[in-house]
Amino acid sequence: MSQQIDARGKACPIPVVLARGAISQGESAFTVRVDNPTAVENLKRLADNQGYTAQVQGGEEDFQVDFRRSGAPAADAPAAPQAPAAGAWTLLVGRDIVGDGSRELGSNLMQMFFYTLTQSDNPPATVIFVNGGVKLPTLDPQIPAHLQALLAGGCRVLVCGTCLNYYQLTDKLQAGTVSNMYDIVSALEEAGKVVSL
Amino acid sequence: MDYGLIAFSSTYAAIYAQKVLKPVAPVQVMPVLREISASCGIALRVEPAHWGAARAALAACELAPGEYAFYAVSSDPPALRVRPVGAQEP
Repeated sequence: MSQQIDARGKACPIPVVLARGAISQGESAFTVRVDNPTAVENLKRLADNQGYTAQVQGGEEDFQVDFRRSGAPAADAPAAPQAPAAGAWTLLVGRDIVGDGSRELGSNLMQMFFYTLTQSDNPPATVIFVNGGVKLPTLDPQIPAHLQALLAGGCRVLVCGTCLNYYQLTDKLQAGTVSNMYDIVSALEEAGKVVSL
Repeated sequence: MDYGLIAFSSTYAAIYAQKVLKPVAPVQVMPVLREISASCGIALRVEPAHWGAARAALAACELAPGEYAFYAVSSDPPALRVRPVGAQEP
């Protein structure tokens, strides 16, 4: 019988940490039980990154995510570090306004920034939203449409799941992927340049 | 015209206009195009379907006519065409 990991009631990123533990022990098949859709999405992404398939059963507050090794090598197995693509950069947004001072002006500046980013010849490869920045892909009247345009151009948009949960905005996400600190740190490590707003 | 653009004489006028237009016409906040002004400024983008309503609402608000200007923008950069639109012009 494959290993069973009961991660119900455990906050992000504990389910991913437990699953990573099973992977590092060489488990080729195991099941993780979780109680929320965000954890399911994080586990599915982990499976994709690690050369596993993930089948999801159940629903509501009891999901079973079955991991099966698909034969591909683990993405984070020890290997020579990859050089970032020339010109590839990552944007880290930790707040919902640009700069200090007036919130009204700062909000306008943030909307103008993302509008201009969609016109850029060199848009970021990844945009990461953390802390108050998660209000932009959820509540802002304009920025989600700009993010959709960036996504259509191949940009990756990662939104901190812990932060969405803290601000009770998880069900209001309009653009991007609910993410965890593993993905965020990986994206920052891979970036040729990180611009922080 | 691909879209209409409203430029302002001050940041305060731009922010005030957003409040005026919010219940009237959807707008996007964008930077003033380089073709209009080299200085940093807030402009509002209005889609053609809402152009008339936006212009009427600004004409009826407390902003003086000299505090804002309308432009018709066509095509995408670098072949951008920006044409001032007069107050009497549709």
